[in-house]
Amino acid sequence: MTQAMHQVVVVEDEPGIRDVLRVLLTTANYRVVEAENAARGELEARAHKPDLLLLDLGLPDRDGVDLIRRVRAWSAVPIIVLSARTAEDQKIAALDAGADDYVTKPFAAAELLARVRAALRRNATGEAKSATLALGSIAIDLSRREVTGGAAPVHLTPLEYRVLENLARHPGTIVKQDALIREVWGPAQLGDTRSLRVCIRNLRSKLEPDPSRPRYIVTEAGLGYRLRPDEIADLDS
Amino acid sequence: MPPRYTFAVSDVQYLVTFGVMLTIALTIATLVANVRQQTRVAGARERRTAMLYAMSRELAATRGRSSMAEIAVKHVAEVFLCEAVVLLPDANGKLHHPSAPPAPVSYRGSDLAVAQWVHDHGQRAGFGSDTLPAAPALYLPLGDDQRALGVLGVLPQSQRRVTLPEQLHLLETFAGQIGLALERENLAAQAEGARVAAQGESLRNTLLASISHDLRTPLAVMAGAGSTLATHGDELDAATRRSLAVSIESRAREMSELISNVLDLTRFESGSPALRRDWESVDDLAAVALQRLDARLAGHSISLQLPADLPAVFVDASLVVQVFANLLDNVAKYTPPGCAVRITAQAEARFVRVMVDDDGPGLPAGDPAALFDKFHRGADEGNIAGVGLGLAICRAIVQAHGGEIRASTRAKGGARFEFTLPMEPA
Repeated sequence: MTQAMHQVVVVEDEPGIRDVLRVLLTTANYRVVEAENAARGELEARAHKPDLLLLDLGLPDRDGVDLIRRVRAWSAVPIIVLSARTAEDQKIAALDAGADDYVTKPFAAAELLARVRAALRRNATGEAKSATLALGSIAIDLSRREVTGGAAPVHLTPLEYRVLENLARHPGTIVKQDALIREVWGPAQLGDTRSLRVCIRNLRSKLEPDPSRPRYIVTEAGLGYRLRPDEIADLDS
Repeated sequence: MPPRYTFAVSDVQYLVTFGVMLTIALTIATLVANVRQQTRVAGARERRTAMLYAMSRELAATRGRSSMAEIAVKHVAEVFLCEAVVLLPDANGKLHHPSAPPAPVSYRGSDLAVAQWVHDHGQRAGFGSDTLPAAPALYLPLGDDQRALGVLGVLPQSQRRVTLPEQLHLLETFAGQIGLALERENLAAQAEGARVAAQGESLRNTLLASISHDLRTPLAVMAGAGSTLATHGDELDAATRRSLAVSIESRAREMSELISNVLDLTRFESGSPALRRDWESVDDLAAVALQRLDARLAGHSISLQLPADLPAVFVDASLVVQVFANLLDNVAKYTPPGCAVRITAQAEARFVRVMVDDDGPGLPAGDPAALFDKFHRGADEGNIAGVGLGLAICRAIVQAHGGEIRASTRAKGGARFEFTLPMEPA
């Protein structure tokens, strides 16, 4: 990695998990600042202006979701939360409060690092600046609004393109389904997830090598979708 | 007998005869009247007995105190031409007005203070009694001396209908019957409570036993592998180190799944959890589960064949993913590598039916429905980890969505698990 070291503030009360995260992130060339509770986390975030906040939701002094809200009041720093699989409501609350992504505990090293990279990448490039994304042999050019390549020409309907575009603006990170519907169909259609499901199915049949086992457009059950272009998928493995 | 057509008595001897006959006639008339009266009384008694029997029979077929109260009110009102109410005590012995919407014959103006006194003292009050004889209604205690079970209040159209000793006696008989029915209900509730408590106790014990068994094995593996790495890590080649680390990770994931399952089941056991339902496509949910179990199912060949026009289902996505994951996890555990798994689905009237088929050894002998019971494990499962919670959770989730789940052995061999998911909000 040629760029300057990114700094990550890790807010986690369990020393064991903190240790693992520190080892993992420093090995991957990040500078790590640790905090063991929400108050300390907020302080460190203000002091260090980190590139990323990695946050456990179950903190001893304050609710992690509350910390997200407070940080969001003054900063757009990418926030990734760590959450248990059974805590669906907590996950949703965190995303609603402004978290960018979540990683389920127990996490796998590769997955965590991929999410971290995706979040940093989004922040570094800003929205929609990154010109092209590769999905296998298919290339998405966001600036020219084109999808090219593939065995056969890919024809997307305007709706399909806009869904894909919204996913591609945050490659590798989760895009909530109501955000997608609001952006593409408009706020009046909120709650009409059926149109979104059909649209995603069509996109997959046009872009995925095996639409029944999607590689690029990944479902986050109950939350939304995530686009995994090659550069992120490659890093995952 | 001369002289005819006159009341004049021609002979003194006939005067006597007349007297005798008059007496006889009067006696007979009285007797006949008595018999008729008795017939009427007997008839009335029979009708009352029939009414009492009708109420008892209906009460016997009813469950729940408030339903019983409604039935009692209906019968008492009909028999005694009155408005009636049955006031039931709460756990603290405090009487309350019925929460059910009142029937036309319900006595709505009952005096809770008087009723409470009746309940506490086990004596009747109101008109026709020693206490508050001026009150418009009459309150009778239900239940026996040891246990007060409620109060019957009646407001008759005419108080005379109730204050006649025979009527009052009958009313008391009715009250007695209602009391008996309530007593029976109380005992049944107590027995049920005891049964549930006992079941909970045994559930906890079984859960503890199974979990500690299922946690010990992976913990032993992890501790062993971890300490090997810690003490001999330098002497091991990279591949060995890696395989030890991998086994630590996979065992830890196994335990984590187990804990999630236990938590899920507890959530369902403690009442139905709120479902976060939305329209979801079945292929999406199945794909998420397949991805989650990718590593475990690496040896199996899996095909997902869903019709292109399969309608969306209205479900809680993460819970249905869990159903798929648990069913696929079962496949990974109970079929040898190399088996083929096929997931198919079809739309039915209001549901989508999903089938997960494999060509493994099929279901264990016995009732397939029992597979979905908690802690059920096939007889010869030996060392396969799992506390038999997976299918129980599947059933809980599917039923919470109003669907059904079942298992069968396929004609060609192998097992089929099928479940239904609703297409519309119920």
